Amino acid sequence: MNTMLVSQENIKNYIPQREPFIMIDALVAASDAGFQTQFTISDDNLFLEENKLSESALVENIAQTCAAGFGYLNSLIEGAEPQLGFIGAVTHLEVFNTTQQGALIETEVKVLNTFENIHLVEGIARTAGTDLLKCQLKIVLA
Amino acid sequence: MERTEIISRTKDFLSREFEVDPSVIVPENNLQESLDLDSLDYVDLVVVIEENLGFKPTADDFKTIVTFEDFFNLVEQKLGA
Repeated sequence: MNTMLVSQENIKNYIPQREPFIMIDALVAASDAGFQTQFTISDDNLFLEENKLSESALVENIAQTCAAGFGYLNSLIEGAEPQLGFIGAVTHLEVFNTTQQGALIETEVKVLNTFENIHLVEGIARTAGTDLLKCQLKIVLA
Repeated sequence: MERTEIISRTKDFLSREFEVDPSVIVPENNLQESLDLDSLDYVDLVVVIEENLGFKPTADDFKTIVTFEDFFNLVEQKLGA
């Protein structure tokens, strides 16, 4: 994997979400095997509930990690049309811990398998080495 | 791998993965209907086939499969049985 591939200033070029729904700051690694992103929870994050980040925000964080990763890899292919990614399913969801504003979330996604335009991935969000949430997603690229 | 072992192993892993009664996995039954597969489920099917039979089917392979008989034939062909 590489290091700091897409900065916070450019992340919007690779994901369809816009503020206040952006849940990743930077793509720090990407390869056919998987992706890594970083995200710092700001005080005004929409998904803070009593100063704790909601589980749905972490699923969204993992999904946006996929979008950024696949989008980045697609951008490396000369002449490739931009692709849209859709979440087809969320399975094997496990919640371990919660976290709060100011925390740096580091998210890792592994591509488990691919069939045609459907990618089965497993994502895990961590903060300071502590697992927060893990799930599998089926991502459909179109 | 003998055909009887292919059938036995297939019944085992498909019934577990897709939560169906092993009795529906018989040669004459329609694979997609019996396993209640939608398009997204095919990636799961690819995963369990790869894990249990040791090969990764392609989209073209699935075009030839209607019944479990077709599936068993494909497995035999892929494994050179």
